[in-house]
Amino acid sequence: MSASAIFVLDLKGKVLICRNYKGDVDMAEIDHFMSLLMQHEEEGLICPVMAHGNVHFMWIKHSNLYLVATTNKNSNASLVYSFLYKLVEVFTEYFKELEEESIQDNFVVVYELLDELMDFGFPQTTDSKILQEYITQEGAKLEVAKTKVPTTVTNAVSWRSEGIKYKKNEVFIDVIESINVLVNANGSVMSSDIVGSIKLKTMLSGMPELRLGLNDRVLFALTGWSGDKGKTVVMEDVKFHQCVRLSRFESDRTISFIPPDGESELMSYRINTHVKPLIWIESVIEKFSHSRVEIMVKAKGQFKKQSVANNVEVRVPVPSDADSPKFKTSTGHAKYVPEKNLVVWTIKSFPGGKEFLMRAHFGLPSVENDEAEGKPPITVKFEIPYFTVSGIQVRYMKIIEKSGYQALPWVRYITQSGDYQLRTNV
Amino acid sequence: MPYIGSEDTVRDLRRVLSNPNVQSDQLRYRNTILKVIRAMSQGVDVSGLFSEMVKACATVDIVQKKLVYVFLCSYATLNPELSLLVINTLRKDCQDPNPMVRSLALRNMTNLRLPSLVEYVEQPLTAGLRDRAACVRRVAVLGWAKLHNLQTNSEIDAAVVNELYSLLRDPDPVVMVNCLRALEEILREEGGVAINKPITHHLLNRLKECDIWGQCEVLRILQRYRPQSEDELFNILSLLDVSLISPHPPVMAATLSLFLSLCSGLPAVGLAALERVRGPLLAACGNTSREMQFTALCHIQLLLRSLPGLMGEHYKRFFCGYAEPAYIKQRKIEVLVELVNDDNVAILLDELRGYCTDVNISTAHAAISAIGRIGRSYSDKCLEILTELLGLKQEHITSAVVQTMRDLVWVCPQCSRTVCSAVEGCEAEIQDSQGRHALLWLLGVYGEQVSSVPYTLEVFIDGVRSEASVGVKMELLTATVRLFLCRPAETQDMLGRLLHYCIEEETNMCVSDQALLYYRLLHCGIEETRKVLQCRRSDPSLGVLIGRPAEPINQWSYIFNTLEPLRPGAIETESATIGGSPEHMTFDPKPNNDLSDTLSYSFAPLSLSLSPALSPEEFEDLWLQQQENYVYMEEHVQCPTIFRCSPQSLQAAMQLVNIQTLAFTPPHTLPWRVYLYTNTQNKHSADTCHGTLILGELLYTGEEIQKKSKDEENVGVFTYIFLARRN
Repeated sequence: MSASAIFVLDLKGKVLICRNYKGDVDMAEIDHFMSLLMQHEEEGLICPVMAHGNVHFMWIKHSNLYLVATTNKNSNASLVYSFLYKLVEVFTEYFKELEEESIQDNFVVVYELLDELMDFGFPQTTDSKILQEYITQEGAKLEVAKTKVPTTVTNAVSWRSEGIKYKKNEVFIDVIESINVLVNANGSVMSSDIVGSIKLKTMLSGMPELRLGLNDRVLFALTGWSGDKGKTVVMEDVKFHQCVRLSRFESDRTISFIPPDGESELMSYRINTHVKPLIWIESVIEKFSHSRVEIMVKAKGQFKKQSVANNVEVRVPVPSDADSPKFKTSTGHAKYVPEKNLVVWTIKSFPGGKEFLMRAHFGLPSVENDEAEGKPPITVKFEIPYFTVSGIQVRYMKIIEKSGYQALPWVRYITQSGDYQLRTNV
Repeated sequence: MPYIGSEDTVRDLRRVLSNPNVQSDQLRYRNTILKVIRAMSQGVDVSGLFSEMVKACATVDIVQKKLVYVFLCSYATLNPELSLLVINTLRKDCQDPNPMVRSLALRNMTNLRLPSLVEYVEQPLTAGLRDRAACVRRVAVLGWAKLHNLQTNSEIDAAVVNELYSLLRDPDPVVMVNCLRALEEILREEGGVAINKPITHHLLNRLKECDIWGQCEVLRILQRYRPQSEDELFNILSLLDVSLISPHPPVMAATLSLFLSLCSGLPAVGLAALERVRGPLLAACGNTSREMQFTALCHIQLLLRSLPGLMGEHYKRFFCGYAEPAYIKQRKIEVLVELVNDDNVAILLDELRGYCTDVNISTAHAAISAIGRIGRSYSDKCLEILTELLGLKQEHITSAVVQTMRDLVWVCPQCSRTVCSAVEGCEAEIQDSQGRHALLWLLGVYGEQVSSVPYTLEVFIDGVRSEASVGVKMELLTATVRLFLCRPAETQDMLGRLLHYCIEEETNMCVSDQALLYYRLLHCGIEETRKVLQCRRSDPSLGVLIGRPAEPINQWSYIFNTLEPLRPGAIETESATIGGSPEHMTFDPKPNNDLSDTLSYSFAPLSLSLSPALSPEEFEDLWLQQQENYVYMEEHVQCPTIFRCSPQSLQAAMQLVNIQTLAFTPPHTLPWRVYLYTNTQNKHSADTCHGTLILGELLYTGEEIQKKSKDEENVGVFTYIFLARRN
């Protein structure tokens, strides 16, 4: 691993905050970062790793910040990127939004965090739940009394402190699936997959022991066991929160754990399967050079009649020099967003099996635009509550705590669009 | 960064800091320190406040302490004497009942990076190793590494090293991993931490307790271990199997790296491990972070070098999204080229065609040259797409297409006819020098096939005065002389004008020297010129046609999971391995002894028939029909590549260039021989029986010459015997 130093820069390349961990790379090297980046950008060859002499910059961009790690060793790239993303995650949990302003407003906490997250170029404590116990923003209120060592640093259950108390004991379970679809211009589905996650909001006292039951179909999918229906999905990339006892899961397929307090992601998975696109778009975009563009978009809900998709947004690209928009829609309303070169067609509620139409007409200037434009795809955003594409269901959630209190689990399902693209001909 | 008013700021801050009223009011004191740190972060030089800040670190307020330490560590190297004053406070803090204060003090003591303070630091560090609290031990362990780093030549106490080794058994996993890191640093001279059997087994057993950073570290260090028996090796491998399919890409990559180093003697196990990581690697390609996707793609390229079929059926996972950054698109395109097979070629080419019009020019070029690479095996479809792209009349696309076509013709000379008719008339769109360079090469080498070449060259020659690129001028000279050889009547006048201009007026020495060279060469006679300039038209090696052979894993395993694969061009592209594009050959007129040259000397415009292959029976019939008029030729060729490949792949490769195999001896027999046959294309009719028939025998007697070159490899000697019959 060994990152020599970590820098947080603003968009102009000015150092907002930095930390020199190893002292083997000159801190002034960072001055080359921005010029290198500009140079690569001009050539159209931006790359997440850049070299200046024997110093390598590995960087990521987050809102209006660059996070840069420098190293002069041939270090492990994926680990460095993981660490930079971990930084983003930890900072975001502290400041809600990680951006230039929040760094400047909270530089004390940032210094404290940088100190704990890494030592001598090696990641140390990176779990934000643990960090939050001894680095708090309330520190600014000057609590001299708070010198108690957090139990988690030495505790057996590192993700949960002892002595948590709630008046009302509840767990909220959110099953969220987002579907990614790429459809070709001729209407064939090039790739589709489902990314799902089970999120918990735990408001339970003491050290509760939880057991989550999922429906069999999903359990089989998790283990790759193929049932007699012959139509089983295989989950890839299944990740459990560190609290889940993996040995238990491997032996008898129960998901048992002591949950972290508050919000957490219990598991995430990906299913790479052919799913029927839930909202199907047919589009005809006719471009008559020097005069007009005519767009006809048909949207069809390809899901159960009982379900309803909410807040559907169909984003149709238009040429950047289009003007004087005219729309006609069978439902919802369409709006021209000139700064993004899009028509956004919004439908508040879209029942399954229904079909809607939108027509748009734009004028084009007689002088043709010379700029090369790509072929941006149509993208769709939606969410369908009470429904999962994969068919995952929570059968039960058992909560056992030695004080024996009654606790209520709440379950919510939602399917939403992820990267949902349909390519067009124009 | 100097900053207007910075001196005033420092003066104000100093005044406030040394004000006793402020010092007694904790809140005001801390806020002032906050201002100092903020100024420091903004780039103001506040080093002048060092002595005031030293005083401020004696406080019970932890946050204030941390801030002061940040300040002190930044400026300690500028004020080594004053830093001595801090040591006392720090040493006192090391005795604090609060473990957080102890660890903070220890960490900052070692972060001051002052060699003069080492003697004061050693004692607290030794105590820190035995501290009750894990967080103090963590810091203390790394502290020793920092000390060593500060004075690398000093002897480190053997007792400390022993203590660190014993701390590998610490109950806290982070302490354990930090011990590994520290020992690695301290014992670097001796090759790092010693890894023996008990340590290995201990580390493996505790792997699960570590976080992902720790796991990666342990896995990396274990690469040095060599299991004593095969049983032990397989036990370790089965323990590691869970990490191999870990959802965390860094852990997966580190495990694979360890697998490959453990199995370096068992290539089959290594290949099985590559199969096993296919799923996690594909998942990493769909990671939400672009940088992780990029890293995964780069590493997939490495894996494909040994297992070309690894991702074959998952090619759709490498299709590009519209909004993806260029660096990901370009890597994906490179991967897609490797995944082409008979089943997916149509879909793949369709997809790649879409990328050719990408807004990002370098992505578009990558897509175009990818189509050219696929064209080596599927020429017809690719040439169709490339020709269609020329129709777009886009400057940069046309230029890239012409360059790609030139590279394609170089390895697949049978495409020349299609290419020649496609490039006709596109000279007006090509503005950049590389594109024109490529076009001129094509026009020069295939001048007799394109009727309008003299007119095109004339335009170039008329504009030579305003031509900026030296390369283009030199290529123009070569192309014109070549054209002169096959179409003297049309070219003579303009060649004269070009030579005159280049010799008399051109200021660049390279160009005028080359013109002079050609001028003198022409004096020696047409035949001499022909010998020099009609060099080969295609790449003489057959390697490309067989496809890239699977490399052994250890060719790349040492760079796996480092920065290396992320560098642009780190993965050898095929065009690089075969010696690149033909432009290098233009100025290389040395006589060659290989097959293609010999052939092109004797039958100047020879091109093999592209029509469906003759069956062996048909060939025999045709051959027997024509009794007279044949040419006999025998050639000895030293050939390192064919020698290693199997008869089947040789046969497949030959078929790609329309050479069929009549018969061959079983493999591993000596002398090994194969009989090949083919027929040439006839210009006037498609009827195959009017072409030249060629029968060849390839003989490998098993003689080997120990070539005393730098790589010292064995080279087989092949004998080619050719019989050709014309009707």
